[in-house]
Amino acid sequence: MAVTSRARAVVANAAVALLTLLTIAPLGYMVVVSFMPRGESGMLPTPLWPSRWSLENYHELLVRRLIDGAWFDYRIVPALWNSLGIAALSTGLGLLLTVPAGYAFAKLRFRGRERLLKLLIASLVVPGQVAMLPLFLIFKELGLVNSYAGVILPSLAGIFAILFVRQATLAIPDEMIDAARLDGAGEMRIFARIVLPLLAPITVTLALFMFLGSWNDFLWPLIILADQQRYTLPVAVAAIAREHAADAELMMAAAVVTTLPVLLLFLSLQRYYMRGLLGGSVKG
Amino acid sequence: MEGDARGWTRRSTLALLPAIGVAACARSVAAPAPLRLWAMSWEGDYSPLLMPAFTAATGIAVEVQSLPTTASHEKLLIATAGGALPDVFMLFNGWLTEFATIGAIAPVPDPSIVAGMFPGMLDATRVGGRDYAVPWSVAPQVNFYRRDLLAAVGYDAPPGDWPALRTMALKLKRRRPDDFVFLMLLNWPTALINILSQAGVRPLRDHDTRANFSTPEGQEAFAWYASIFADGLAPKALSTEVQDPVAAFAQGYFAIWPSGPVTLRDLAQRNVPKHLWSTARCAGPRGPGALSGESASLCVAATTGRPAEAWALVRHLTSVESELHFQRAIGNLPANLHAWASPQLDQPVLAAFADQMRYPAPGPKVIEWEQIQLQVQFAAERVVRGVETIPQALAGLDTRVDRILAKRRALVEAGKLA
Amino acid sequence: MSARAAAQERTAWLFSAPVLAIILLVFVLPTALAMALSVTDYSIYALADWDNLRFVGLGNFVDLFTTPLFWRALGNTALFAVLGVPMAIGASLFTALLLDDVTVRWKPLWRVLLFAPYVTSIVATAVVWRFLFNERSGLINRLIGAVGIPPIDWLGDPHTSIPAILIFVTWKIFGYNMIVFTAALSAVPGDLMEAARLDGAGRWSRFRHVTLPAIGPTLLLAAVMSVAGFLQIFAEPYVMTLGGPAQSTTTILFFMFEEGFKWWNLGQASAVAFILFLMILALTLIQTRVGKRYEWL
Repeated sequence: MAVTSRARAVVANAAVALLTLLTIAPLGYMVVVSFMPRGESGMLPTPLWPSRWSLENYHELLVRRLIDGAWFDYRIVPALWNSLGIAALSTGLGLLLTVPAGYAFAKLRFRGRERLLKLLIASLVVPGQVAMLPLFLIFKELGLVNSYAGVILPSLAGIFAILFVRQATLAIPDEMIDAARLDGAGEMRIFARIVLPLLAPITVTLALFMFLGSWNDFLWPLIILADQQRYTLPVAVAAIAREHAADAELMMAAAVVTTLPVLLLFLSLQRYYMRGLLGGSVKG
Repeated sequence: MEGDARGWTRRSTLALLPAIGVAACARSVAAPAPLRLWAMSWEGDYSPLLMPAFTAATGIAVEVQSLPTTASHEKLLIATAGGALPDVFMLFNGWLTEFATIGAIAPVPDPSIVAGMFPGMLDATRVGGRDYAVPWSVAPQVNFYRRDLLAAVGYDAPPGDWPALRTMALKLKRRRPDDFVFLMLLNWPTALINILSQAGVRPLRDHDTRANFSTPEGQEAFAWYASIFADGLAPKALSTEVQDPVAAFAQGYFAIWPSGPVTLRDLAQRNVPKHLWSTARCAGPRGPGALSGESASLCVAATTGRPAEAWALVRHLTSVESELHFQRAIGNLPANLHAWASPQLDQPVLAAFADQMRYPAPGPKVIEWEQIQLQVQFAAERVVRGVETIPQALAGLDTRVDRILAKRRALVEAGKLA
Repeated sequence: MSARAAAQERTAWLFSAPVLAIILLVFVLPTALAMALSVTDYSIYALADWDNLRFVGLGNFVDLFTTPLFWRALGNTALFAVLGVPMAIGASLFTALLLDDVTVRWKPLWRVLLFAPYVTSIVATAVVWRFLFNERSGLINRLIGAVGIPPIDWLGDPHTSIPAILIFVTWKIFGYNMIVFTAALSAVPGDLMEAARLDGAGRWSRFRHVTLPAIGPTLLLAAVMSVAGFLQIFAEPYVMTLGGPAQSTTTILFFMFEEGFKWWNLGQASAVAFILFLMILALTLIQTRVGKRYEWL
């Protein structure tokens, strides 16, 4: 009995380890190739390890180079800052807009609350891409094309976020809030002093969701940003990827620059992310 | 003549210096903001090489943005719609009508800017009688051919008319039945469109509002095209099945490859021995004729805030020095006629290009031309694969193109379009 | 209304009005406009001059239905969904079951690593996988070559392009549902499981009769939501194959993007958007029906 269960344990653990290895392998390979000297990855048989570790791909990608008196620049570093700034703004503004709204829908009584709630839930059906084309035309009239505001604004329509916060706020007992009201505290005070601290872990989760979502957002920034100086990382990488398909090492370096910050952020805060996923999607 | 052209360019650029100097002082900034230039593909990646000379002469820096070719049409349209165009940008000639119609590009203010270009080129850059762009590079198709393979059947160069070309091709096929003669793939429209041009097909009629393919010329062109595949002279394949055309040509699987100047660069990069191949004009029904190329031009955006400087940049980029520099760097063939007098371009393989450039055949000036080309290609593919006969295919093509042109037709009939 | 109620109402509007206004501007308004656009012939001519715009009723839809590429895109998208959903759900379920085994240690570590692909940027990973699938120098062909299979032109052959993209997509998203199923599996009644084991039921029998009914609703819900996700595939064809080869990976969204932003046929593109909306609406109705049936909603 013990032998069988031990053998089973070994097999099960080995299977999981193998699966995880296979899953992580593409990301690992991405990092490894990015340090290979130019052209090495195209040699046959496909190398699995650099012959020598070289920073030349990162240098070419990130640094402005002077060749024959002319400046050449992939403009990845500006894209990095753009992504960072836009993601940070999106998250900050997004939290500011959706957390109070989620609380309002959960705990504050006001006319039309139920009807609005039903509309919000119903609107989850509509895929975002339907609105994309006319939204571009609207932004064109408003002069928001090729602007940071144009990128951030659509991400602030956080219907999912509102419902998410609402779901979490419902768990706060009504008595606590009513007691504070009876004590004479104003609504704003109640929200700031009582509710917000209780919502802190949810807020962190939501912030993580929003940041990741904004960083990885691709289709809308692709449409709305025309100027290379304003590109976010995914858009910049996609632009290079079209013409440099053969420069695998360079493209891997670009991929590393795009995925590494986010992976690190996720790994450090993964507890909140997982909790948010499980808390939001499974009942009972 | 040539001295004049070069001198005028430099003179005019220097003449702008005082004007720019005054403007710069007026703005009281240390250096003027850089001009913005967008270009595609190789031109985009290597344009920075041409900028130091401009900056040295005028003190204006230029910021170059490289657009991937396959995404360039949408990026330019989106920028136009959103008012985010740069000061100067490159356009493929086929798109000039479109961008001029939507008011994205400014007309050329000074005829001297376009003086010195291949005369036929200006036909393509003229919309409604006005010049809207300055030709930058020319890229007509010529026949790249394997000298050794043709010599083996007794030819120095491919003949210039279809019947003789066919005879030679059949000899080649008999000698090497497992290989093909023509590297023409079913989803490469340019060679097909050129066959139509050579046969004298006028694709559209009635102010370019109706298709005109069901004509004797159309019949002749399609018949020639279909015969190439029917006789096994070209493979019934798409570009996905022939992944590496350069290697295929180098290894002798194909003896003749109708292609543009890009192939010069590709063959050089792959170190294909120069004695193995050469170029000749593409054959027509009764001798070489007129055909178009995927040439490119430079335009100044209608929304630029600095037209004078933008046109100075355009002048610089299309000057003989810049064109020759570019040719050395990326192999682009200049649109500037005077550049061709330089010994740098006096190579035997370039002679066919220079020759063909004197007989351009611009496509119809309609916005839908690119979509129409795709339809022509689909129709030809149906004939080649035996799905339709030639008269059926041409009639179907006419119907589909008429549908594509419906909006244009409505506007022309309402008098809103020329 | 009492002062307190009025205060609540004021605060509620203060809290929710800004975000609702934004939702109105960037969501409600454009969606309505999309319906309006889809019945006009907005094209590049309209960009030149607003006057050129015409109302065409169902003309765009008729045009769409006679465009072969539209049907091809629809077919491709359906193929993606039909093949992809079982692949993705299967992979998620398999991994969740594997992780659920009591003998596995360091579960949180595996869970996080297996989830990692989900948070990466689709563009970056598409670039990586395009390289992995390279016919000549890709790692995948090297691996299958090691077991004697000749190299496959994954992204260049119309027959293997969809499977290749599906492998990539499965890798990217399976972590999400893996977590969802892990949570569902933890809710499987333990005593029922024990009873079944004591009764002598085998592994498969236990799975079929105890586990499956318990996680059934979650499974079905995840599947239906996955389909909605697969209907919106865009970035992968955009980065890896440009909709090719031979239009074999042109999806509905890719078709819409090209019609709308490459050719500027916004009228037609809006019609496509509308059709996509109807498809997802139908899907959601199914989801509601299923949810109600299993008393989940």
